[in-house]
Amino acid sequence: MVGSDWRGMMIAAQAGNGGAYRRLLEEVGVWLRRYYRRRLPPSMVDDAAQDALIAIHQKRHTYDPARPFEPWLAAIARYKWIDRLRALKRAPSEALSLDIEVEDHGSAVVSATVLDALLRGLKPTQSAVIRLVKIQGYSIEEAAQHTGQSISLVKVNIHRGLARLAKELEKGDHADG
Amino acid sequence: MDDFLGRLVSDLEPVRRRRPHVEALVLALLCLAELALWLALNQARPNLMGVALTTPTFWWKLASSGLIAGLGAATAINSLDPAVSPRRGLIWIAIAFVAYLIVGAFTDGRFDRIDILQRLDWRDGVECLEKVVLLSAPAMTALGVFMRNGAPAHREETALAAGIAAAAWAAFVFSFGCPHDDPLYIGVWYTLACALSASIARVLLPWFARW
Repeated sequence: MVGSDWRGMMIAAQAGNGGAYRRLLEEVGVWLRRYYRRRLPPSMVDDAAQDALIAIHQKRHTYDPARPFEPWLAAIARYKWIDRLRALKRAPSEALSLDIEVEDHGSAVVSATVLDALLRGLKPTQSAVIRLVKIQGYSIEEAAQHTGQSISLVKVNIHRGLARLAKELEKGDHADG
Repeated sequence: MDDFLGRLVSDLEPVRRRRPHVEALVLALLCLAELALWLALNQARPNLMGVALTTPTFWWKLASSGLIAGLGAATAINSLDPAVSPRRGLIWIAIAFVAYLIVGAFTDGRFDRIDILQRLDWRDGVECLEKVVLLSAPAMTALGVFMRNGAPAHREETALAAGIAAAAWAAFVFSFGCPHDDPLYIGVWYTLACALSASIARVLLPWFARW
């Protein structure tokens, strides 16, 4: 997880050393993007990494030099990841445009694999509609037709499924770097 | 990305590290000041020195609420470090709570259903609810400020621990003025009052301490 002395750099940053801080943020930024690439859709990776860097900046006084740096960083990364998942739950479901640029297939495959493993923990009726609406971009109505569920049941299953997913993630240890 | 990092670096200033023991000390001083004020306002029960101090259930409610307040405060303050989960602390609080109920049941020994309503004394019980919620406000506010300054990665659980700490401390303070030593009364009303305070903290503090 760590290539150089992140702990030392953070201690220097807490004392106001800008050079050490810049190097730390650059290296941590790379690690964060790799972390989120495995857990989020590619379009969310950069925003999530920036969010986490802002959190690190604002909460740098909470790092205790007597403890290792990596668990502190991983906890912040995980916290911001769960925040993103909650935002995903709140976001309206929209059909995907056909003009969307497709790139970075490798990370998308990894994200899909992780998401697939997580969705398998849900009820089939919940995971089916989450896959259709949140991942494949179908509308609520299309997902209802596809699965034979009513429109309101699709909405309920998406809401409950994502809530359960967020809860499981908070309980579980899916966050290891 | 370079611009973004540049902005963060240009905003860098030396920081004073969070010191959990200072937070614990501030909280302890605030709580002791509240207790002193409560007693100074002549809120202590009239028979505190004569009867209460020789009654086992008085010590039971005092020890239980003090223990749970301590566990809750330690759990909440520790979990302001994002790498520390409050779950183990919450489990200990649950164990302490079960022990409190078991000891109370053994201390009671009376199972006469007829006078249960009399024993519950709902007028005093409602007053107990109001006062415990009110008395929990200072500690809850302090813990909320610490939460905002810290980085709790499990906001809801940390808020719950903070609420339990504040509520249990409020029950501790209120014990000195509460004329009831009946385990049934204490088990019902103190538990309800603490649950209400802890629920308020569980709802309000995560929102206040969002980061």
